[in-house]
Amino acid sequence: MSLIVVDDLAKSYGEVVAVDGLSLRVEQDNIMGLIGPNGVGKTTTIKIILGLLKQDRGQVRVFDQNPWNNPDIRHRIGVIYERAYFPTHHQVLDYLKRVCRIFGKPESRAREILTLTKLEDAYDRNIKALSAGMLQKFAVAHALVNEPSLIVADEPTSNLDPQARSDLLDLILELHKNEKTTFLISSHILPELSRVCESVAIMNKGKVWASGNLEELSEKLGAKATRVSTDKPGSLADEIKKLNYVSRVEADSRGVTVAVNAGEDERLYDDVPRIAKKIEAKIAGIESGTASLEELFKLAVRSGREGEDQK
Amino acid sequence: MKKAATGRPFLEVFAVALKENYRFPILEIFAFLYAFGTFIFAGLGATVAQSSEIFAHGLVSTLTGIPLFILMILIWANVAYGLGNDVEKGIIQTLLSYPLKRRAVLTAKLLSALGVALLLFLGIQLLALFILAPDIARIYFSTISLTYLANLSPSLLMAGIVLLVALILRRGGLALVVGIVLYFAFSIISSMAFFLAWTGSDFALKAFALIYPNMALDRYYAGFGTPSPFGPSEMWTPSFSEALGYIGVSYVIVAVIFLLCYVYFDRRLGI
Repeated sequence: MSLIVVDDLAKSYGEVVAVDGLSLRVEQDNIMGLIGPNGVGKTTTIKIILGLLKQDRGQVRVFDQNPWNNPDIRHRIGVIYERAYFPTHHQVLDYLKRVCRIFGKPESRAREILTLTKLEDAYDRNIKALSAGMLQKFAVAHALVNEPSLIVADEPTSNLDPQARSDLLDLILELHKNEKTTFLISSHILPELSRVCESVAIMNKGKVWASGNLEELSEKLGAKATRVSTDKPGSLADEIKKLNYVSRVEADSRGVTVAVNAGEDERLYDDVPRIAKKIEAKIAGIESGTASLEELFKLAVRSGREGEDQK
Repeated sequence: MKKAATGRPFLEVFAVALKENYRFPILEIFAFLYAFGTFIFAGLGATVAQSSEIFAHGLVSTLTGIPLFILMILIWANVAYGLGNDVEKGIIQTLLSYPLKRRAVLTAKLLSALGVALLLFLGIQLLALFILAPDIARIYFSTISLTYLANLSPSLLMAGIVLLVALILRRGGLALVVGIVLYFAFSIISSMAFFLAWTGSDFALKAFALIYPNMALDRYYAGFGTPSPFGPSEMWTPSFSEALGYIGVSYVIVAVIFLLCYVYFDRRLGI
């Protein structure tokens, strides 16, 4: 079941096209990452999904409802914004108790989630006196008040120190495992997304350029890489480049990373020892793996630039 | 699916807005300023009245002078700067994550920003009237009410305009500047319209009375004959029903402006 369905979405700010024909699905019980270069339309997409902005074209359904001005779905969504803003002249615990009352939850939940987000020392602090990191933690606590089945987070780890980032990622995994919470997370910090996301949607030029889990994406984009460890990486790379089924070759001091067209892995395993023998190179090992999220991200950016050059 | 219960969330958002708008000692300071402004000028004006009814109208006009300016300061602070900043800085998007319709969020904010300011204003004014002139206040309560209605209409109109500006521009500071400019523009136009009427052309005065209906009410009472604190009786003097019409039209204009704000907030405002 899809909790979020976005179809052919478009949004412009005057002459600037932020989102252009974007389609996306977030399945129940999934952690989906939304990645892409700056200014690609991630925040605009999230705002439309949350009913804060109106699209120029296309359809958005959240829990099979239109999110615009729809209070009914708010009971089921938690939101973490990139920059958290709250009414400032309230104390942390008091405000969260108020939010509990808004969502019809017992006030005791406020203490529970402040403990969960490690803000128990900030009960009596004024919201405006919180540091940027603490404010972000408070935003996370705020998003959890209504025990949401879907959490939409726009750069949730911004402003957090490394320990707090790690804690938040653990919390996301815990909520996903124990409460079956679905997440849509936009972030630039790709290793973090790799740690928690089961699937990603890579955005470029206002569209979803590719989506799926890392394995599928690597396969689909020809980004599945084989690592060959050798004593002559430069010469080996030059020879491998000549193979017509190879899409990408990168050499470094310890070996060569090779990406081949889908279904051609076995041929590479046959050809590499033959080429190594020919150029008298020693092969220490060959292993295949999926591309990292960072590699996929770079591929998306590169592809976007090439598309622009062709125009 | 759980249906959104609007009562409790609305009251909680209203309480949040109240705490933001009137945190200690803002409410106390403004209550003092209202009281000070009301009582300090109570002895002036309305002394050359032809009748008790005119005296009642004049007394209210005198009492409202400074407090109406203080009300404007609260409108600038809470509606223009406050609400504009909430939209600009994103606090509104936090409030919109609660199970409330957009119009309910705006109503909660306006009730706090404008409703409480008006309640405080009227409370202190009526208290002052019943202390200073209890017989007049009791006998001419309808005249007094009408004068308050006529006096408050321009303030509400300006509140509506600065709200619309704050929502469209999404800049608290800019909305504040627009509010202040608008207030002084109103004062200047009012003086010019009165001067033109004095010189024989009463069109500007009649037009201005549509948004400043106390002008029409003043002229109606000026028609009772001289000496009058409301200008010479030779100038345009509407009938009572005409004066009532001006008050009615002014509130229709106020309602239209606020309706535009609600429609924009409800259907268009992207955050």
